[in-house]
Amino acid sequence: MNSADQSHNFATAGLPAETVGDVHVDHPRMTARNVDVFYGDKQAIDNVTLDIGEKQVISFIGPSGCGKSTFLRCLNRMNDTIDICRITGEIALDGQNIYDPKIDVVPLRARVGMVFQKPNPFPKSIFDNVAYGPRIHGIATSKDELNDIVESSLERAGLWNEVKDRLHQPGTGLSGGQQQRLCIARAIAVSPEVILMDEPCSALDPIATAKIEELIAELSSEYTIVIVTHSMQQAARVSQRTAYFHLGKLVEVGNTDQIFTNPQHEMTNNYITGRFG
Amino acid sequence: MSSLTLGIAILIISAAYFFVANRASSSQRAAGTKFHSLPHYYGLYAALLAFLPAFAILLVLAIGDDLVFRSLALDFVPDEVKASKNYKEVIVMAQITNVVDGINFGEQPDWVYAAAEAWKGWDATSTTLRTILVISLSLLGGMFAYRQVNPGFRSRNAVERIIMTILAASSAIAILTTIGIVFSVIFESLRFFALVPVSEFLFGTTWNPQFEGAERAGSGQMGLATYGSVPLFAGTFLISIVALTVSVPVGLFSAIYLSEYATPKVRAVVKPVMELLAGVPTVVYGFFAALTVAPFIRSTGMSLGLDVASESALAAGLVMGIMIIPFVSSLSDDVINAVPQALRDAAYGLGSTHSETVRQVVLPAALPGVVASILLAVSRAVGETMIVVMAAGLAANLSFNPLDAVTTVTSQIVTILVGDQEFESAKTLSAFALALTLIVITLGLNFVALQIVKKYREQYE
Amino acid sequence: MSDVTKGRISPDVAASRVAAGLAARRSKEKRFQLYGKIAIGIALAFLVTLFVSIFSKGIPGFFQHYVTLEVTLDRAKLDPAGDLSVQSLYDGDARGVIRKALYEATGASGRSGRKAAGKIISGGAEQRLREAVLNDPSILDTTQSMTFAVDDDVDSFLRGFIKRETPEKDRRINDRMIGYIDTLTEQGLISFQFSDYLIFGSASRNAEMAGIFGALIGSILTLAVCLVLSFPMGVATAVYLEEFAPKNRVTELIEININNLAAVPSVVFGILGLAIFIGIFGMPRSIPLIGGVVLALMTLPTIIISSRAAIRAVPPSIRDAALGVGASRMQTMLHHVVPLAMPGMLTGTIIGMAQALGETAPLLMIGMVAFIVDVPGSVTDPGTVLPVQIFMWADFAERMFVLKTSAAIMVLLAFLILMNAAAIIIRKKLERRW
Repeated sequence: MNSADQSHNFATAGLPAETVGDVHVDHPRMTARNVDVFYGDKQAIDNVTLDIGEKQVISFIGPSGCGKSTFLRCLNRMNDTIDICRITGEIALDGQNIYDPKIDVVPLRARVGMVFQKPNPFPKSIFDNVAYGPRIHGIATSKDELNDIVESSLERAGLWNEVKDRLHQPGTGLSGGQQQRLCIARAIAVSPEVILMDEPCSALDPIATAKIEELIAELSSEYTIVIVTHSMQQAARVSQRTAYFHLGKLVEVGNTDQIFTNPQHEMTNNYITGRFG
Repeated sequence: MSSLTLGIAILIISAAYFFVANRASSSQRAAGTKFHSLPHYYGLYAALLAFLPAFAILLVLAIGDDLVFRSLALDFVPDEVKASKNYKEVIVMAQITNVVDGINFGEQPDWVYAAAEAWKGWDATSTTLRTILVISLSLLGGMFAYRQVNPGFRSRNAVERIIMTILAASSAIAILTTIGIVFSVIFESLRFFALVPVSEFLFGTTWNPQFEGAERAGSGQMGLATYGSVPLFAGTFLISIVALTVSVPVGLFSAIYLSEYATPKVRAVVKPVMELLAGVPTVVYGFFAALTVAPFIRSTGMSLGLDVASESALAAGLVMGIMIIPFVSSLSDDVINAVPQALRDAAYGLGSTHSETVRQVVLPAALPGVVASILLAVSRAVGETMIVVMAAGLAANLSFNPLDAVTTVTSQIVTILVGDQEFESAKTLSAFALALTLIVITLGLNFVALQIVKKYREQYE
Repeated sequence: MSDVTKGRISPDVAASRVAAGLAARRSKEKRFQLYGKIAIGIALAFLVTLFVSIFSKGIPGFFQHYVTLEVTLDRAKLDPAGDLSVQSLYDGDARGVIRKALYEATGASGRSGRKAAGKIISGGAEQRLREAVLNDPSILDTTQSMTFAVDDDVDSFLRGFIKRETPEKDRRINDRMIGYIDTLTEQGLISFQFSDYLIFGSASRNAEMAGIFGALIGSILTLAVCLVLSFPMGVATAVYLEEFAPKNRVTELIEININNLAAVPSVVFGILGLAIFIGIFGMPRSIPLIGGVVLALMTLPTIIISSRAAIRAVPPSIRDAALGVGASRMQTMLHHVVPLAMPGMLTGTIIGMAQALGETAPLLMIGMVAFIVDVPGSVTDPGTVLPVQIFMWADFAERMFVLKTSAAIMVLLAFLILMNAAAIIIRKKLERRW
C-alpha cells in the first residue's frame, strides 16, 4: 500500500455512526436535528444533530472541507443564496424551525448575524457601514437613536476610540483588523441574538487576532456566538464548547477543556494532536 | 503585363525558386553535408526573397503611377483654362481619364485629347518598365537567396526574421490607420478654419452651408453661408438624451434582473435574444424609425393635439435608444457580476432583502462601471449615423423640444460628403471640421470611460 | 459613557421593529423585481415590434403580381435584321408585340384605351421578351404563353393599397385601367408569384423591376476584399502583440491605437477612404475594392481583440512543451499556438465580417450610393452593397419599394443570422476549454 492510500484510509476509517459526546445542552438557543446538506449530488453535511447554548461560545473545528463552514451558513440560511444547495432536517431558533416555509429569512438574519472570513466592509463610510443594518430594518426610530446605536456598537466592538474622529471616512480605508471589528460592530448594530463567525481571524495578523479574540470573550456575556476556526489554539482560548467535524460528519462535541485534554474519539485525538488536518 | 499577371508571374518565379533551393539543399544533405536548417527553410527563404521585394515594388508602382501621370497631365492644361474661375482640377482630370479609358461624353477640347494621348504613351512606357523591373527584381532576389544555400547559412533564422518583420509591419497598420484618419481630417479642417473662424464654427448658432462658392465668388465676407455648429451639436445632444432616456433604465434594469433574479434558463434565453438588438444593422433601424416609428409618433402626437415634426428627434432618439439597450445591459451586466460576492454576503448576512442588497450595496459598488458603460453608450449614440440620416432630417433647428426636427453632426457629414463634391468649397471642408470634433468627442468619452473602468477594476483586484 | 444602555436596543425590541417594517419591504422587493421584468419586457417588445414591422412588409415584398399573355412572336417585327443579334432585337418592336397581346387580352381599343392598357404592364417586359428570344430562337413565329410583371401602380392596386373607392383624379390608375385589370383578373391571367425581379434584378427606378442582385454581388465582393485584408492582418497583429512584441513605447502606442480605432464612429472610416483613397490616390468612386479596404480597417480592431483573447487562452504549458523540445519561438507559434487559437480567431473574424456586412455609413462616403444598374464583375467595377441599396430604396415613396426594402432587409438579416450562427457553432464545436 502506498502512503497516499494509507493516509486516505487513516482519515476515513472509523467515522463514528453517532456523534461522540453530549450534543444537548440545558438552555439551547439553536437546535439542529438530523441536518443533511447537499450541493447538487454531493453531500456536504451528513446527519448532524447539535444544540447551541444560550450566551455561550461554541467553536467548530476540523480539517478544511469538513463542512464546518457549510453548517455555520445553514444557521442563518446564508446557503439560500446558492442555487444548488439543498437542506433537510430541522434547525430551530428558540424552538422555531427556521426552514419552515412561513419563516421570513430577513428577520431571521437580523436575529442571527454573521461575520465573514475576509473583512467585507461596504464601500461606504464607517458610520454608514454600522448604520446600514439598523437603517434597512428600521430599528432606529430617530436620528439620535441611530447615532447612539452606531456609537454603542462601535464601542462594544472596541473600535470607537480609534474611529470616532473619522466616522465619515470610508470603511475600506481601515486596517484589516479594524475592518473586521467594523464588520462585527455592523453585525451587532442590529441587536442579534446569535452571531455566526466564519474564521473571522484567518485574514488577520496575530495582534489583530488577539484583539478580536478579546472582543469575542467580551461579547459572549451578551450573545450566543458560533465560531468556525482552523486554529485549535483559538478554539481553546475563546470557546466553552467545541465541535469537531470531519467529512461532513459531526464526530465529537463537548466542553472545550475536555475536547482538547481528553478527546474521546480517535479522529478528534489525531486532529488536535496534529496528525492530520 | 497588367499588375495582376505580374503578381502571378512573380508568384510562379517564387515557387520555382522554392523547389530549386529546396532540392539543392536536400540533395547536398543526402550526400552527407550537415546543414544548419531543414531544406524547406532554404526553399522558403529563396521564395520569400523572390516574392516580397518585387511585390512591394509592384504595389508602389501600381498605385503611384497614376499620381505621377496626373501631375504630368496638368502641364497640358492651358493657362487660360487654369486661370478661369470655374477651373477644377478634379473635373479636368476626369475629362482626361475618361478619354484615356475610351469613354466619350461629347467633344472635348484639343488639349484634353493631347493629354490623353500622352497619358496613354506614359502608361505603355510605365507598364513595360514595371514589367521589366518587377520580374528582374524577383529573379535577382531569388538568385541571391539561392546562392546562399550552403551548410553554414542559417536559413530558418532568416525566414523567421522575415516573418517577424511582416508581423510587426501588420501591427503598424493600426498606427497608419490612425495617422490616416488624423491626416484626412486635420488638413481639410485647417483649410476650413482658414475660411471660417474657429469661434464662429464653435459658437455660431446658425448652420446654413447651402450657398456654395459664395465666399470664393467674393460676395461679402462670408457670403450667405454660415457655419455655426451649435445647432448640430444641440441636435446630437438632444437625440442622444432621448436615446439614453430609453436605453439606460431599460438596459440597467434588464441587466439587474438578468444577473440577480433570472434563473439560469431564463438568462440563457433572454440574454442572447436581447443581444440580437445590437446585431441589427443601423440602416434597418433607420428604416424602422423613418417608416414605422416616426409616423406613429406623429399621429399619436396629432391625436393629442401636439405639433410633431414628421422627422422628430423623438423618433430617431427612441430607435437609437433601442439600438443601444444591449450595450448598456451587457456592459452593466459585466460590472454587476464583477462586484465581489463578499459584499453581497455582508448585506444578506445583515438581513437585507435581495433588492436592498442590489440597490444599496451592489449598485453603489458597481456605479463607476455603470457610469463608464453609459459613457460608452453616449459615444456610440453621438457617432451613430444611419438612424439620424434616415429619421432625423436635415433642418438645423436650435431646439430642445424632442418633437421638433433637428439635425446632427453625423447626418450633416453624410449629407455634405455624399455624391460628387469639390474639395475646395467651405461646405465640403466643413464636413471635415465636423468629423474632427466628432472624433475628439467620441475618443474623449471613450478615454474617460476606459479610465473609470480601469480604476474600478483595480479596486476589486 | 455615562449611560451604559444608550444605543443598546434589546433583541426583542429590535425584532419587533424589524417585523413592523417587513410588509413594506417585501412589497418594495416585489416592485423592484417587477421593474426588471418590465425593462426586459420593453426590450423584447421593441425587438418584436421591429421584426414584426419588417416581416409584415417584407414577406409580401418577396412576391409581386404578374400577368400572363399569349404573345405572338412575329419574327419580322422582333428581329428586323434577321440575324438574332442584340442590336437587331433592340431595333425590333418587342413593345408592340407585347402590347398587341395585351390589347387582345383586355379588349382595349381606341387611342386612350390602348394608352391605359399599355400602362398595366411593366416597362421591363420588353427586355424579358428579348431575353426569351435570345435563349431560344425557335420560339420565333410561334405563339407563346409568357408572364410579365405588372406595373408597380397596378401591383399596388391589386394589393389593395390603391382603393377603388378613391375618386379617380386622386389615384394613380384611372377607371379604364381598373376595367382592364378586372378583365384580366376574370380571365385568371393575373397571378401573385414569387418575385424573380427581387432576387435577380438590379437597381431600377421602376419598383416592379428593382432587385438586389447587383447589391448582393457588390456586398460579396466588398466582403471578400475586407476578409482578404483584415483576417491575415488582424491575426498577424494579434500574434505579434501577444507573442513577440517587446514591452515598449511603440507596442503601447499600437495598443492604444487599436483601442481608439474600436471607438471611432464608422462614418469617420468613410471619410478616411474618401480623403486618402479617392482624394489623394485618385482611385475611382463606388468600387468594392475601396469599400473593402475601408471596412477592413474598421473591422481590424474587432478581429485583433478577439484573436488576442484566443491566443491568450492557449495555456503557457503548450508553449513550454514546444519550446522544451527545441522548437523556435516562431515554430511554437506557427505549429501550436495559432492552430489552437484558430477557432477563436475565426469566430472573431466572422463577427467582424457580420458587422462589415451591415455597415452603411462609411460606404456612403466613398460613393457606393450611386445608382448603378450593372452588376459589378470585379472589385474595381462600380457597385453598391445591400445595406446601401436598402438605404436608397428607403427614400422612394412607392409602396412597392417599401415592401421590397423590407424584403431586402430580411435577406440581409438572414445573412447576418447565418454568419452569427456559424460563429456560435465554431465556438461551441471547436473551441477547447483548458
